[in-house]
Amino acid sequence: MPTIEHNGNSYNCDEDGFLLNGMDDMNDDWIDYVKGVEGIAELTDEHHKVIDALREYYKKNGIAPMVRILSKTTGFPLKRIYELFPSGPGKGACKMAGLPKPTGCV
Amino acid sequence: MGYDPANPMADRITDIGPPHYSKFHPPVVAKNKGKWLWHEITQPGVLVHKAESGDECWTVRVGAARLISTELIYEMCDIADAHCDGFLRFTTRNNVEFMVDDKAKVQPLLDDLASRGNKFPVGGTGAGVTNIVHTQGWVHCHTPATDASGVVKAVMDELFDYFTSMKLPAQVRIALACCLNMCGAVHASDIAILGVHRKPPMIDHSRITGVCELPLAISACPLGAVKPAKATVDGKEIKTVKVNNERCMFCGNCYTMCPAMPLADPDGDGIAILVGGKVSNARSAPKFSKLVIPFLPNTPPRWPETVAAVKNILETYAGDAKKYERIGEWAERIGWEKFFEKCNIPFTIKSVDDYRLAYDTWRTTTQFKYTNAIK
Repeated sequence: MPTIEHNGNSYNCDEDGFLLNGMDDMNDDWIDYVKGVEGIAELTDEHHKVIDALREYYKKNGIAPMVRILSKTTGFPLKRIYELFPSGPGKGACKMAGLPKPTGCV
Repeated sequence: MGYDPANPMADRITDIGPPHYSKFHPPVVAKNKGKWLWHEITQPGVLVHKAESGDECWTVRVGAARLISTELIYEMCDIADAHCDGFLRFTTRNNVEFMVDDKAKVQPLLDDLASRGNKFPVGGTGAGVTNIVHTQGWVHCHTPATDASGVVKAVMDELFDYFTSMKLPAQVRIALACCLNMCGAVHASDIAILGVHRKPPMIDHSRITGVCELPLAISACPLGAVKPAKATVDGKEIKTVKVNNERCMFCGNCYTMCPAMPLADPDGDGIAILVGGKVSNARSAPKFSKLVIPFLPNTPPRWPETVAAVKNILETYAGDAKKYERIGEWAERIGWEKFFEKCNIPFTIKSVDDYRLAYDTWRTTTQFKYTNAIK
């Protein structure tokens, strides 16, 4: 199992850099680490709003929200989400929020 | 400037789409686009199209393995450079077509292709067996129940004569999909080769929490066999799922959604054969393919059982069907009970539909023929 070390923390990850143990392992240092690998220069309140929305929805429902629901709850159109997270809501935002890797025919 | 990982959005080009196809038209195609009068197949693998202007476009179609190296693509480019002013195209069944504007240029092209061993077999036109539309298999996918490239090679080796000739009643489209996601054309092909599982998924409770969105796995099941459950991992109670094995028909959808529910199994997995599909509207409406052989084992590297089954169906059809009749039209005309009898395929309960709208597929008439297919 690959491990990522960052700021003294160590995280169990899969080969795509998603947390294997889910949100239990996730903390502010993880956000800081993903920020580096996802090409995000500065973390803003808008980033946190997306992450909080994802985490809240996941805790409540056990799944990541549909893209339309994420847009509706955060008020950010998809275009803005891509500006915040260049890899997109799945590979970028869900990874940062500690959600499981998206599955299906992706 | 090269890509700068520290500044990934700098100089990023996006949303430009594919290049416009008109950039790649051979001159004779560009000139006569939309003005073709008629066409003719002059020999297997060679077509001529006549334009209003009197121009002719000669096309030579060659088989390809679909999964090919850059070396082979370069070799195709060399052939196109030598004979076709650098132009070529790929068909919707992954054959390659070389086009020339003069009949005199056809034979040198054919000679060149023939001189390269069996890399570029000419054929795939008219009432024959053309290329097999297929999928990833064990080369690249994580949900297959069989291989794609290997089975396709084994089948096409056996049916090679039908690729280079046009002696069947109508064209026969063979397709393969390595699981019942059916990427490609198996659901609507004359003969379809389909990878199937026969065992329910194994649930990895130790991983499921971190990698799986449980409601997705539950809703992925077409039969409602996956239910929420609790399990104890390392003394800790976790949320997980359970599978009602009696209800599971091994489709593998839950594994697609949830990596902790693998179901591939070397002995359980194998191949089902479906026949009688078509997509054209010629004479009869498009049809779905229907299951006739529920299971054949995976026997790499040559899959002899699958190859024999496909060849048997093809040759029985070739000997019995009328001109222009596709396999599905033939089977419906003679009756499916006669199809099973003529092909000497044992009819099993697996061919009797039992999924939701199954009733319409049962026989609600006294019209049938006595056959030896049901003992």
